[in-house]
Amino acid sequence: MEVFVLFAVFIGALVIGIPVAIALGLSSLSYLLVSGIPLVVVPQKVYAGIDVFVLLSIPGFILAGNLMNNGGITERIIRFANALVGWVRGGLGLTNIGASMLFGGITGTAVADAASIGGVMIPGMKKAGYPADFSAAVTAASSTVGPIIPPSVPMIIVGALSGISVGQMFMAGAVPGLLMGLAMMITCYVIARRNNFPREPWRGTSELVRAFASAFWAIAMTGIIIYGLLSGIATPTENAVVASVYAFVVGAFVYRELPLKKVPKIIADSAVSAASILALVGLANVFGWILVSERIPQAIAGTVLSITDNPILVVLIINLLLLFVGMFMETIAALIILFVPLLSLAQAVGIEPLHFATFAVLNLMIGLTTPPVGVCLFVCAGIARLPLSPVVRAILPFLLSNIIVLLLVSFIPALATWLPNLVFG
Amino acid sequence: MKVILKAYRVLEFFCRAGVFIAFMVLIIAVLTQVLGRAVGDSPVWTEELTRFALIYMTALGVGLGLMSGDLVNVDIVCDALPGPWPRILNVAASLATAFLATILLPGAWKYVQIGFLQKSPAMALQMSFVHFSVFLLFLLLLVFAVMRAVLTLLHVDISHLKQEA
Repeated sequence: MEVFVLFAVFIGALVIGIPVAIALGLSSLSYLLVSGIPLVVVPQKVYAGIDVFVLLSIPGFILAGNLMNNGGITERIIRFANALVGWVRGGLGLTNIGASMLFGGITGTAVADAASIGGVMIPGMKKAGYPADFSAAVTAASSTVGPIIPPSVPMIIVGALSGISVGQMFMAGAVPGLLMGLAMMITCYVIARRNNFPREPWRGTSELVRAFASAFWAIAMTGIIIYGLLSGIATPTENAVVASVYAFVVGAFVYRELPLKKVPKIIADSAVSAASILALVGLANVFGWILVSERIPQAIAGTVLSITDNPILVVLIINLLLLFVGMFMETIAALIILFVPLLSLAQAVGIEPLHFATFAVLNLMIGLTTPPVGVCLFVCAGIARLPLSPVVRAILPFLLSNIIVLLLVSFIPALATWLPNLVFG
Repeated sequence: MKVILKAYRVLEFFCRAGVFIAFMVLIIAVLTQVLGRAVGDSPVWTEELTRFALIYMTALGVGLGLMSGDLVNVDIVCDALPGPWPRILNVAASLATAFLATILLPGAWKYVQIGFLQKSPAMALQMSFVHFSVFLLFLLLLVFAVMRAVLTLLHVDISHLKQEA
């Protein structure tokens, strides 16, 4: 009865448009009232949920991304990606994907990527003769590599939930992120050949070198973050703050495009974004505590294992469930609610936590571009001034390529675990 | 309506100033930690101060997140409804938020009182001050949720406020 109340209130609250964090709080509150548990447990669990060491890095990485974004990196990264792959057929589509991959190494969220790259690339692609729906679709699809390639806000949250080091999580995302980018580039190229999309002229090695030099200080931030994590000289939090200071120096004094007047607003906006994520994490911690005390993870694992204990089928079931939930629910909330229950199931059939965490995050990122609730899809359709349906149709080939990569990462653990094992032993 | 908008602006100003200060404290504490380690030992209080700054930043920012839409919701059903329903549901969502915060405030105050018995290990700060952040979180959530409901009822375009923020 209590568990029924928990889920009924949660789903009801989501449907009427109550923010996910509040829906989690309301459903937990209903459960506690029905069960007669004192409500002082809520502030305790909210506090404990936020007071987790690795979560301290979230505001820093958000700020670093926002400072870079306002400091003139978007055009530089696009210029470099264009010099690199723009001369191939469908070159601006490939540029879009390449820029998202580079951008993903600077920001940890997909929506920032979709808005920044989309703001420049979608009008540019339309002007160059690409269909608007394709331009929006390729931008939305490629933005999902942002939180796979390190740094990544969802991966930090997984680290907080599972105890896996953030460094290992970041490294685990690198190969799948590159694979996703590559698969989307192949898809884009095939579509471009079929539809005879234009190509940019080859501007020579000198332009490639100049474009690289221009984007170097932005791209170097990825190197700084990875070096900090691999060398062990800095914690993820320290890394995030150092990256913010670096982004400020590059934007304000190297590129000289970051207006100093705007910095306090950028800091406050980043703080509000981070606070909203952390409030969600805190309230989800109450919900998660209830799930664990009601032994829901064990019940889910028991139910699935009573149907099959074949690891291949279990991985498929987990992926289908995550894809389904990702279609309707906000990524971070879905991750917080489902990660621990599904981890129990994955471990029961011998899947390593690091491997599971990687394909779970990858799966939920795909949900950012699936209807009916796909934030990146909304952002890009908005920039292209299109209704959702043509963009949904145009994104289908990219969704397929992303799902193929998801299945590869799900069934070949080495794609996720090889690099972290190599680096961290 | 002007009074409510003015009250909203004042509250917004103080909360934004608060999150800015909390974030700056976090940044300075972490940099002190990094620089301290580079020259020898880091001060012991930096890690604790960073955590407290993060919690206060969350408390002060959550209401602003509710107004700006950073506190995400699933609005597909809501937006698909005809006529006044999206607005009615918007108000209902705000009131539900206010209800949650109101119910949880007494428990949160009890949690503040529990903190009077403890001190933080590194800074020897009374934990009631730290626990107060959760009380503040629910209090600000209540105030912003009520304002959001009133502004929606008064047909004030909240997205307009978001952009200005």
